[in-house]
Amino acid sequence: MSCRSLYVCALLCLVALPAVAQESTTIGGYGEVHYTNRSGRNTPAEVNLRRFVVYLAHTFNDKLAFRSELEVEDAKIEGGSAGGEVAMEQAFLDYRLSSRVTLRTGLVLPPVGIINEVHEPPAFNGVDRPAFDHDVIPTTWRELGVGIVGTLPLAEGLSYRLYLVNGLRAGGFSDAEGIRAGRQEGREASFANPSLTGRLEWVRPGLRLGGSFWYGGTTAGDTLLGTESFDAPVTVLSADGRYETSGLSLRGVVATVGVGDAQQVNALYGSAVGSRISGGYLEGAYDLLRFMAPHTTQKLNAFVRHERYDTQAEVPTGTTRNAEFARRITTLGLAYKPTWNTVFKGDYEVRRTAAGTAEGETVRFGMGYQF
Amino acid sequence: MRRIFGADARATPLVVNADTVYRIVRTDSLLGFAVVREVRGKDQPITFLVATDSTDRLKDIDILVYREPYGGEVAYDAWRRQFRGKSADDKLEVGRDIRSISGATISVNAVTLGVRRALSDLTAWHRSGAIK
Repeated sequence: MSCRSLYVCALLCLVALPAVAQESTTIGGYGEVHYTNRSGRNTPAEVNLRRFVVYLAHTFNDKLAFRSELEVEDAKIEGGSAGGEVAMEQAFLDYRLSSRVTLRTGLVLPPVGIINEVHEPPAFNGVDRPAFDHDVIPTTWRELGVGIVGTLPLAEGLSYRLYLVNGLRAGGFSDAEGIRAGRQEGREASFANPSLTGRLEWVRPGLRLGGSFWYGGTTAGDTLLGTESFDAPVTVLSADGRYETSGLSLRGVVATVGVGDAQQVNALYGSAVGSRISGGYLEGAYDLLRFMAPHTTQKLNAFVRHERYDTQAEVPTGTTRNAEFARRITTLGLAYKPTWNTVFKGDYEVRRTAAGTAEGETVRFGMGYQF
Repeated sequence: MRRIFGADARATPLVVNADTVYRIVRTDSLLGFAVVREVRGKDQPITFLVATDSTDRLKDIDILVYREPYGGEVAYDAWRRQFRGKSADDKLEVGRDIRSISGATISVNAVTLGVRRALSDLTAWHRSGAIK
């Protein structure tokens, strides 16, 4: 059959299809349980229902769909005791204008790095997410706004996302976790600093390359820090890649975060945020069952990941640099996946710092799922 | 339709087990069969077509309607062409003879499973004489 006749057939079949999608609701979810045992005296192991997330989506028609994730962290929250969180991770309405352009409104994930958008436990090696995706790219990062997602006609495999969202809040910035606590996460967020974030991606079978950015002010309405929308701007630039071939998978991310007016931020809030936060990681994994059981569809990934980052790569005048924040973390372990969406994990992490203090080793085991 | 499609290939619908199979012919020679199916992606159906040649080898697949904002890479030729020439005896398993697309795992697994079933059905029906 020629290409042409296949096309013929495709058209014929399309004619036979119902034009309008039925209204429908989808429930899904993901979650993970962790066992964590840190080295040293008086640090007994801990077990934690780290995440339980319900995915709820509704299709209104061919063009309109709602998607959301509601998360419970650390099993419960209780009055008077620290820890635990119930939070919306995503909640947005998609309006599909064409196969190339979808309008999106609501609580969205800034498309920076790998883990922030793809964070289901079977999608990454290691019990915990990379520490880089906590301290440098503040995963799970979500903010309120509007944007467009889609594909570009320039070449097959090119896609984009571009959002206008609320800005970060400089009052939350810190020496150890950078911009992390500056996220507003959709709760009565200040819109004093409309911020732009976006991503360009190029995909081939087995390969995905991406570049991301964030730019926006961080005053959150605090006139002592600035009165303009783009005062105390934070700039994030990041590049990432994922490659998979016959049992081998590689991934890596680099990012640099520039905190403008860090000197004023630190003076005003008594913090010690770096004026530059930067680093990255590389990870390689190999599916051992390729050798041990060539006919199975299960996977047993042996992996090693090396992270290097510094949340005070540069500090502003008046702030003393602490070498403890220049971290080198190596994690090696196994991830057994009976199906593509379930996983049992175990790993060993070695944490070192340029200061030689705040170091340690950690053994972790975990279970994760998504559906 | 003939004006759009030209006169050299014709598709005739046949109903088998409540499935509509298209029998494709040029003049009097059988070119193959095709079927349209749906699988569920993350939360929306993905409509795809599987076409076989007269010897039950997979001719091509086509993603007819992709509705979700992510994972649409399964519609790219670079991914779809892996299926060409496969038969019902092939495994058609993600990570084995079908390469995955990182970040599109759900769609890749859903479409691959759907294609495997469609190819298996078309082959079985052709061999049993249910379609000929």
